[in-house]
Amino acid sequence: MVFGPIPNRDYHERFMRKAIEMAEFALASDETPVGCVFVHEGEVIGRGINGTNASLNGTRHAEFVALAEIIAHHPQSIIRETDLYVTVEPCIMCASALRQYGIRAVYFGCLNDRFGGCGGVMNIHADPGVDRSYPVYGGLFREEAIMLLRRFYVQENEKAPDPKPKKNRELKTEILPVTVTPVPVSQNATPIDTPPVGTPAAVATPVLGAQEVKIKK
Amino acid sequence: MAALRRDSKVIDDVVAKRHMVHLKTKEECRLGNETIQVWTVELPSKHAEGILRVIKDNIPGQDDIDLQHLRRFAKPKYLPGHVIGKRDLVKEMYAVPRAWESTPQSVMQAPATTSWEYSNPNRSRGNARPSTLHLLICPTKVVDLPRLHQVLSEHTPFCSSADSWAYPLEIKEITVPRLAPTSQTQAEEWSDDFWPTFYRKTNPFGAHPSSIRKAENELQEPENENIGVEAALALAERAGDDTVRRGVGAGPGCVIVERVEGRTEIIAVAGDARYKPQANAAANDQSDACCKGNMMGHAVMRAIGMVGRKRLRCASQIVTKAAAKAEGNFTKGGLEHDTNARDAFFSDLPITPLEKEYFERDNLKPDGYLCLRLEIYLTHEPCIMCSMALVHSRVGRVIFKQRMPKTGGLTSEMVRNDSGPVGLGYGLCWRKELNWQFMCWEYMTNEDEGTVSRQDLRKVSTEKYQQEEDEADSEDANVTSSSFARMHV
Ligand SMILES: [Zn+2]
Ligand SMILES: [Zn+2]
Repeated sequence: MVFGPIPNRDYHERFMRKAIEMAEFALASDETPVGCVFVHEGEVIGRGINGTNASLNGTRHAEFVALAEIIAHHPQSIIRETDLYVTVEPCIMCASALRQYGIRAVYFGCLNDRFGGCGGVMNIHADPGVDRSYPVYGGLFREEAIMLLRRFYVQENEKAPDPKPKKNRELKTEILPVTVTPVPVSQNATPIDTPPVGTPAAVATPVLGAQEVKIKK
Repeated sequence: MAALRRDSKVIDDVVAKRHMVHLKTKEECRLGNETIQVWTVELPSKHAEGILRVIKDNIPGQDDIDLQHLRRFAKPKYLPGHVIGKRDLVKEMYAVPRAWESTPQSVMQAPATTSWEYSNPNRSRGNARPSTLHLLICPTKVVDLPRLHQVLSEHTPFCSSADSWAYPLEIKEITVPRLAPTSQTQAEEWSDDFWPTFYRKTNPFGAHPSSIRKAENELQEPENENIGVEAALALAERAGDDTVRRGVGAGPGCVIVERVEGRTEIIAVAGDARYKPQANAAANDQSDACCKGNMMGHAVMRAIGMVGRKRLRCASQIVTKAAAKAEGNFTKGGLEHDTNARDAFFSDLPITPLEKEYFERDNLKPDGYLCLRLEIYLTHEPCIMCSMALVHSRVGRVIFKQRMPKTGGLTSEMVRNDSGPVGLGYGLCWRKELNWQFMCWEYMTNEDEGTVSRQDLRKVSTEKYQQEEDEADSEDANVTSSSFARMHV
């Protein structure tokens, strides 16, 4: 559904590459490897990774961290002319926040089939609502986005005091392609409960967002 | 920008008594009124078990659809009249056109009396007529009528044998509730309308009724020093009023309570602060559509942020160190680190003396996880963002006072006549698709509840709500109320 063709793909890949770099940085810092950049007129104005471990706040997602950077320097209205590039589809919370802030468009890597608010689980970006809807484009560097998440879970399992059997820790490298079924985003086209079309059942995006904070006693 | 209208009945509030009404979950709204077609047949009581065995042996899949909430056998006197008077499908299947078929419907339908069996002279077979039961055979989609007729007509009492005449085989198609009722009242209504129905004191589509009752008792009749729902919501309103008075809020307020071993502690109090200025002058524009303010200033987001900050403060050294390390990584990565700007954006530090008073208490149990099982008291139904923030934070109980049908994320009603005004229908408090569910109540006046029946399969419409909403929409002169309806809380 959201993995339709993206016009001017090369241009957008350039920024998604920066989002991937943020996710790689998150992975190196033991944070969930989700990264994002906000781009205004070809310029990155905000970057983010999850901040939940530092804030003990389960809502401090990469998108919000990046928005904090933007609002430190710009008026909020700049978001209306800004696009978001994020390695994993925004969750329901972020999808709603982005719509309220008036984001222009969202580009993402892989679907978030646990909490996704832009097609993965719900369609917060396009459902009828009081705010302007926004278009979403998925699948940019999707494989990399998924691999980062897999690497994170292998890494986490190895750190766990009681490691799971080895087979669970193996890094799966095969990623199934998604079905490409472009559907235009419109204000009133998508009912809330439409199950995601083209969601690759075999590629389960791991839990994002409110991940467990491990407390060693 | 005017503050949110608190309630259309502000004055009544002084006297209007409120109480907690548990929200319908998405599934309850979607499935609660679903029905299914089933076959039934009447037969002498003494043959009931025998025929049930025949059905179990001859109709594969008769048990696949769970109808455990319905009696398998029902005495005629417990059946609704229209069920007894249903068309006899067997008769229709084999009938050739005859004069009596033009008999008006009303004559063919037996009256709902216990003596209905004798009302049709054709069926009377003298005084020795045995007592009968109606058997719920199976859903109509499991077996077709000719096949069912064949099976039954081959067995006693529907086949004639050496010592008796065949009992007339009358197969009827009736409508029954597809899913279990979620209350005793609902079970009674369904028994009156469809078929005798059990309430098993469980709810497959939401929180267990006993958990709901326990919570309602704890909150509505607080013990000892504990804070109850009335006081907690009053505090939330005060918090919301305080920030409005300071010119930074839109009205809503939020209170977060922890309950440890039966004792309550107020952890965080936050008023809406969406209009609070940012740290840097460049970030503050009064010009444009930003009258919506900063979404991070919603009371729920602020209160959740305050809980995180208190967790950091009350944490053991291990947790504090881990958090500091994560913070350090941030800086290392060259991520923006203007603390003032960040704090102004997230707005998760106290603004008013009231907020400060509760924020400064080190009363949070150390090393807990996010807002795990905390209680959230809200003046208004939160927006989708805030509702999902509550899911991410793993809260336990949420109570709000005023619905927000155009922007709220917690209620599930999407069509008229569900159980409340029509909203967006997200029902984020209890979605199976998500990995966390919590109990959620609307704190309603008795008057509201009387008008908008909360009973299931309701016949009362939501006209009152609709009317209020329409008024709010059409009153162009009254900017406050129309913008109120479209505001995100
Ligand atoms: Zn998010
Ligand atoms: Zn909100």
